[in-house]
Amino acid sequence: MSTQDTDRQPRADPAAHPTNGLDDTVHQRHRLGILTITAEARADFGYLRDALGLTAGNLSRHLTVLEEAGLIQVEKGYEGRRPRTWVRITSAGRAALAAEVDALAELVRRHRG
Amino acid sequence: MTSGNAALPPEELLSDLARLRRQARSARHAYWFPLVLFGLLTCASVPFYVSDVTQAGVGVAILRAPGPPTLLGGEQAGGNGLFLAWYWALALVAGYLLTWAWYRRHQRRVGIKTPARAFTTTGIVLAALAFLGPLLAADLPFGYGPVPPVEDLWVRGTFAFLIAAAGLWVLAWAERSRALALITLAYTGAALLASLYNVENLLYPLGWNPGFGSASARLTVLPNVLLPALVLLVAGAGAFLLRPRPGRA
Repeated sequence: MSTQDTDRQPRADPAAHPTNGLDDTVHQRHRLGILTITAEARADFGYLRDALGLTAGNLSRHLTVLEEAGLIQVEKGYEGRRPRTWVRITSAGRAALAAEVDALAELVRRHRG
Repeated sequence: MTSGNAALPPEELLSDLARLRRQARSARHAYWFPLVLFGLLTCASVPFYVSDVTQAGVGVAILRAPGPPTLLGGEQAGGNGLFLAWYWALALVAGYLLTWAWYRRHQRRVGIKTPARAFTTTGIVLAALAFLGPLLAADLPFGYGPVPPVEDLWVRGTFAFLIAAAGLWVLAWAERSRALALITLAYTGAALLASLYNVENLLYPLGWNPGFGSASARLTVLPNVLLPALVLLVAGAGAFLLRPRPGRA
């Protein structure tokens, strides 16, 4: 777990209001997308870039934020002579994603109710 | 909200995430290959199931004495059981290794990993146990022999189908694929039917009567083999035709 992970703001009691359950690190469309895809399967840099419609630089920045928060692990290696970067979600990342999706669903429910 | 969410209300954000999840799940699906491969391996085993029958007159046939019973070869009347056991031991290991290589290739191509190692390990370990277990158990005090009701699962030489089914269940879990789980359910049903019942009886009302002395007597076990193979080949062909392709919605 990185030091930045421990610096992340603790989640407030979501029962107060769903927005209190949103995490600033996670609550960003593309970072949520990265967590969602990697929760399904380990994905490589190229797949994430294409699926999210990001530039390589932009994706790198999001990956750095998530990695420093301990939500993903980035594994760099080679397949033959070709460099490949694989991204896997951590258990903390799964928990953060689940909490975020729960908070969003609760927001939707309240909005409709 | 951060800038990345500025234009997206929670409903749309959730919908967007669901779409990404579906896309990733779909991209990792590559199970048409093991279905077709194991279907073809089953078809290739057909010669070992053809009994060695000698016509001794009208309505009379002589079967060669069965070989020693083996878990993978069953008690094939006609003496092919040992060859069948060797065939299935090699075919299962080759099938699982080829499938593992296939998934490695697929993940390099699409950029999403399917953990096929559990599938491969399950299949190879079960195949090795089924092949070597009886040989090793023969030296034990309690020996090795037909043990009802387990005997019914292998006596027709169809135990390899159940090993293939076990591997497919692991693959369905690894791929998080309901479609593969349904296919595997149908295949497991066909494999169990082939193991526990003479499928030729189902063909009798259709006019196929491979009784003793008839020319088709040698082929009586084949419906038990071809039914599971048919399930795999049809499902594999369907999965191949419906597989996600770049540029297709």
